[in-house]
Amino acid sequence: MTSGKNALRIGKFSLWLAIVIGALLLLETNLRGFHLGVVLLFGINAIVCLGVSVTNSYTNIFSLGFGGIMLIAAYTTSLLTLPVRYKSAFLDLPLWLENAQWPFVPALIAAGVVAVLCSVVLVLPAFRLRGHYFILASIGINMVMTNIGINLRSWTHGPLGIRNIPFYTNIWWVYGILFLTIFFVWKLLRSKFGRAFVAIGKDQILASVLGINVVRYKIYSFIIGSFIVGIGGALWVHYIGAMHPHVFELVFVFQVIAMLAIGGSGTISGAILGAAIITFFTQLARPVQEGFTLFGLEIPPLIGLIQVLVAMILILVMIYRPQGLLGRYEISWATFREHIPAALRKIREEK
Amino acid sequence: MGWYLAQQLINAFSYGSILGLLAVGYTMIYGILGLINFAHGEIFMIGAFVCFFLVTLYHVPWVVGALGAVAGSTVAGLLLERLVYRPCVKRKAPVLTVFIASFGASLLLRFLFMMFFTDRRRAFPIPELFEKMYFLGGVAIGLRDIIIFVTTIVIMSLVACFIKYTKLGTAMRGVSYDAKTAQLMGINSTRIIVAAFAVGSALAGISAIEYGLSFGILNPAMGFMPGLEGFIAAVVGGIGNVPGAMIGGFLIGVGEILFVALLPPALSPLRPLFVWALLFVILFLKPTGIFRPNVKFEGLWGE
Repeated sequence: MTSGKNALRIGKFSLWLAIVIGALLLLETNLRGFHLGVVLLFGINAIVCLGVSVTNSYTNIFSLGFGGIMLIAAYTTSLLTLPVRYKSAFLDLPLWLENAQWPFVPALIAAGVVAVLCSVVLVLPAFRLRGHYFILASIGINMVMTNIGINLRSWTHGPLGIRNIPFYTNIWWVYGILFLTIFFVWKLLRSKFGRAFVAIGKDQILASVLGINVVRYKIYSFIIGSFIVGIGGALWVHYIGAMHPHVFELVFVFQVIAMLAIGGSGTISGAILGAAIITFFTQLARPVQEGFTLFGLEIPPLIGLIQVLVAMILILVMIYRPQGLLGRYEISWATFREHIPAALRKIREEK
Repeated sequence: MGWYLAQQLINAFSYGSILGLLAVGYTMIYGILGLINFAHGEIFMIGAFVCFFLVTLYHVPWVVGALGAVAGSTVAGLLLERLVYRPCVKRKAPVLTVFIASFGASLLLRFLFMMFFTDRRRAFPIPELFEKMYFLGGVAIGLRDIIIFVTTIVIMSLVACFIKYTKLGTAMRGVSYDAKTAQLMGINSTRIIVAAFAVGSALAGISAIEYGLSFGILNPAMGFMPGLEGFIAAVVGGIGNVPGAMIGGFLIGVGEILFVALLPPALSPLRPLFVWALLFVILFLKPTGIFRPNVKFEGLWGE
């Protein structure tokens, strides 16, 4: 009986896996250039959103410092994978780092680990602070990291940036890691850690009364979140192929916050929906921003239009639906199997 | 060395004045609404732009332009309150939601100006009268520095008196300390919020003119760094505490300029780093800022 059930589950799982792999294969063979970029950026943004949601939504520590964390992760992976010739020509690195030529996966993991170390070192003192003080300190993490990136010229080439970073990111890596992250966060929320995070997020004092070591679990939350976010930053830099100290500044941070806020913080599907909405919107609105000709009428380029529209959407969502589009609702199998049919039935009965 | 230090101190005081006025705006709005008005730097930027347009494009006298800047900032602040914050507050949105909305408003205004007026730096109109310099021993004091400093001191004294002695100011302090009880005492909190936004934004407009006089440039992104530093100054001075914010502004401004002036030039690009290091040190020693914050902390941010 159980073995039969298991076989059924394995069969279902392999069916879904085959469908997903088939879909990705279809995407990879058919998409080129701009459209491929949109799909990849969506995946990367979704990974970053999931990482940020671990700290900002579940544990409810509203941190804006993940831009700085991503920056250091991206620099780590780019320094580890850059061609040696480029490094010796433009940068002034210690010998072991100059000769380092790591493959993609170890570099990715190293980026995550460095992000974790860095975030713990930076966030630990900030845990003494609460509310707006913490937000301010976390903005400080961004500013400090950007500033180091600008001034540590021998490592980062300053504001001129690094080029020639190998293009490793493709659909398989991005979506493989995205599915792994979704699975991981989903499992996390059902584990001791995740439940402790959510408890801290709901009521910190109650959580500590229940015997949860609040500071320790906050640090765990930061470790997990920063690792995912760092991987996201590393994937991004291997997709763009160039690095610059200003890439993850407050405008980027704002976009991620907007994704989480619009999609609905507190659920996995909310984070992914938000990432999808903002990524597709910003990428598809890009041609409009650069100016175009409509029926002989020349529309001038409007640099900044995308940010203006995203900000407007965000403000409207915050006023009229502060919990985000999905709120606390998680899209799962039950949505398609039970909730949607039930809702349809209700509508039919009312008629 | 002594003259050099004196010269740097004079430069520092004008920057401290700019930050101090911004910090007072932050602190007043925080005190009343319990909200970091992230868009305060953009209100500051709008003030500078209004003055630029009035004086450079429409050739009105400079004083009228400056008054226009204050008026423009005030109108911008009031519109922000009416269109963004009031709907949020009315729906009893959590503080974090309102903060995200203010974050959005900040980027909205900055990129709106960038969209219409491009990212280019423009020259802020400075009347020739102000270019005069006085020499005192080895120190050159510009008339501009004197005007900036004196204006700031006068305005800050007026604000302090307003908070301390007028009926509206007393009501503001009451709402800031305990909004619920103040409402039970018959204070119309919406009116107080509007007043706080008006005063804070007007101060940002004055600060913008001082910034223009002192640096001579303006662009749509100009509000970002002074805005953030003003916010730091407000936190350093104990948020919600108006005199504290003034002193905090001078402290950050003077500290920053002296950091650049006294340390070797190789370190001067690290100036933003210094500000944050100072903030971290102060928050470490006194987690609520140097002076007593004039807000209650219970129930804030769900903690």
